[in-house]
Amino acid sequence: MKKIETRFGQVEYEPANLLHFPAGLIGFPTLHDFIVMPNKKKGPLFWIQAIDDTEIAFVLTDPTNFFLDYSITPDETERKQLQIDAEEPCFILSVVTVPPDQKISMNLAAPIIFAPSTNRAIQVILEDSSYESKTFLPNA
Amino acid sequence: MLVLTRKIGEGLIIGDDITIKIIEIKGGAVRIGIDAPLDKKIHRQEVYDRMAEENRNAANWDITVLDSLCTNFTRDKKENEKD
Repeated sequence: MKKIETRFGQVEYEPANLLHFPAGLIGFPTLHDFIVMPNKKKGPLFWIQAIDDTEIAFVLTDPTNFFLDYSITPDETERKQLQIDAEEPCFILSVVTVPPDQKISMNLAAPIIFAPSTNRAIQVILEDSSYESKTFLPNA
Repeated sequence: MLVLTRKIGEGLIIGDDITIKIIEIKGGAVRIGIDAPLDKKIHRQEVYDRMAEENRNAANWDITVLDSLCTNFTRDKKENEKD
């Protein structure tokens, strides 16, 4: 186990369990490794903490909790980045914005594709889709 | 920044594998054709910038706000189950 100080206090993590973004996130190309923080409270939201910048953490959610028909299939290039073949499963996550007024939104236009078998993830931009980068949660 | 003048039908080659061609110039807009390997993602600048801005906003949040939201979610769920 390793330890880092974050703005949420000290966090312990197992290096082998880190979520690896080979290309970082959009706008954060140098942040490759994140700790997946379990949500102590029940609910659809959890967060990931960057280990290379202790100030940076992102709230994520499975968008299909809110939009049942939301689905993205990685293309061959994306599967290569995730180091998975076409049969291996992957999951879609959305970056959640939590402003002080609690009007939380998620970015359906730039989802994260996560491959559990390799612990790798990439953020992709859906350029020609009708999905909005600020999609407000139905019950928020 | 390297600045070059090109005419319709002329192009540019970047490295060994990216070709850019000027297709059409009409009403202040330029149509550009790009040939690049699939692993080179191509995005409109303003779309990419907006996503980077969204991520920067998303990185700025407060744990107490999230905590109270999560409490709300759980409460909503329980209420739904009662119905």
